[in-house]
Amino acid sequence: MRIYLELAIRAFRQLFAYQAAMLAGIFTNSIFGIMLSAVYLALYHSQASGASVAGFTANQTVTYTWIGQMLIAPVMVFGSWEIIKTIRTGAVAMDMLKPMSYFGYWLSQDMGRAVGHMLLRGLPTLIVGSILFDLVYPDSPARWVASFISIWFAVIVSFCFRFMMNLWGFWVLDHRGIAGITMTLMGVFSGHLLPISWYPDPVRDVLNVLPFRAMVMLPIEVWLGQTSIVEGLGLGAFWIVVMTGLALWLQSFAEQKVVVQGG
Amino acid sequence: MADSASLPQEFRIALRIAGIRLRGQMAYRASFWMQIVSNFIIHFAEVMALFAMFYRFDNMGGWTLGDVAFLHGISMLAFSLGDTIAVGLDSVPGQIRLGEFDSVLIRPLSSWVQAIVSEVSLRHLGQLIQGALILAFSFTIVDIEWTVAKAAMLIVAIITGVALYIGLFTVVAILSFWTVNSIEAVNAFTYGGSDLAQFPLHIFQRWMRSLFMFVIPVAFTAYFPALFILDKDDPLGFPHWVRFIGPIPVAIFCLVVAWGWRQGIRHYRSTGS
Repeated sequence: MRIYLELAIRAFRQLFAYQAAMLAGIFTNSIFGIMLSAVYLALYHSQASGASVAGFTANQTVTYTWIGQMLIAPVMVFGSWEIIKTIRTGAVAMDMLKPMSYFGYWLSQDMGRAVGHMLLRGLPTLIVGSILFDLVYPDSPARWVASFISIWFAVIVSFCFRFMMNLWGFWVLDHRGIAGITMTLMGVFSGHLLPISWYPDPVRDVLNVLPFRAMVMLPIEVWLGQTSIVEGLGLGAFWIVVMTGLALWLQSFAEQKVVVQGG
Repeated sequence: MADSASLPQEFRIALRIAGIRLRGQMAYRASFWMQIVSNFIIHFAEVMALFAMFYRFDNMGGWTLGDVAFLHGISMLAFSLGDTIAVGLDSVPGQIRLGEFDSVLIRPLSSWVQAIVSEVSLRHLGQLIQGALILAFSFTIVDIEWTVAKAAMLIVAIITGVALYIGLFTVVAILSFWTVNSIEAVNAFTYGGSDLAQFPLHIFQRWMRSLFMFVIPVAFTAYFPALFILDKDDPLGFPHWVRFIGPIPVAIFCLVVAWGWRQGIRHYRSTGS
């Protein structure tokens, strides 16, 4: 277990080397947060003040926007392709020989990275939003804690999905096509582009039963009190179990497929 | 800096290199099509989100679905064309980091043209098609009284938009002559600018409107031309002629960028390894 913790701490520390990049990230996420808030507020402008549309008041929608921006880096909403590079270079052979779980090797590093991204980039972005806009906050200490646990669950579900998408590298050489599809699935189906409940009812009902919801929308629902703590965390845990199972299953196929080039 | 080729000559050489690169890319046919399809899907989702917004609300700051779809159409067309032309500039930071930019400087072709053709990609065709579709859709639900002036304005808006986005992508490359770590911040202006252009300008905060009018003149390539073509009143109260001046701020912007590129080249120091 210790080795996994060490890996996580390494990945966490690594982020501190890129301070300029972190500032640039906070800046970019904040500009988009401000812009999207203006778009949503313009939509609500025609409604009576305090009106709720598809379960969201104007302030809740703005809060949704900023939590969405906060989650971009920790959850890696647009995908990440570190593992596939090691498959292409052949470094994967060494990684698989290491006396530890291949899945755990990458998961622990991703956990460390996510904590770092949350502290250095996610939370500062949310703070910018809270200064500029009237955001809604969890209504009890229990909900505060549940929201952050839910975000942590979101990172794990997201990792499992990204891990599986990277494993495609064992079968195909060029991942750009898969990257585009991954980006759409994670960015749209997760509710990051638009709250899931805003879509027409049949679309909403489908998105609500897919694992992508647990990557962005579910933590926000817990934060805003649209979903009970028990239901939010229960559903998150359910998707962690399912997605981890799928990831390990796919990995067992990939291990048989591994072909290392060169010598 | 060797600048010996004349302009038409440079253009011919650039086209020839671009053709060669394109043929190279076409060798990976499956990947080529998958990129276009996935690019189309991403922007299809963006358009679906717009529809979903108007499924729940009936207007955005007084503009209807058709009006906003029109803005989406012209900005997506301009951005995808600009990105297609300027995609090679993406590789400049990498070339600088590896010291490969040295060889660019000794060739008798403008360094900027070489950067432009260092990579050719048609993946933004997906967005281009999407932009054309949403623009066509807006024509069917907004009643535009077409005149020659309006048709000309549509073309000018798209051309100035393309020029502006190429300029913005050049800014990213210019910055990489000094730093490679904070380049992501420029995304706020390139992708942010094109996102902002997809919505009516008057819904944004004052400082953001000023930023995208007077620093990066995105508003002159989408919002103001749209006011003219859609016959709309300007809630911001700018004089009527502001709708027509787009090419001037865009030309100034591009000149400043060109000057910046020269400064970047002058500042370039090869890597020491």
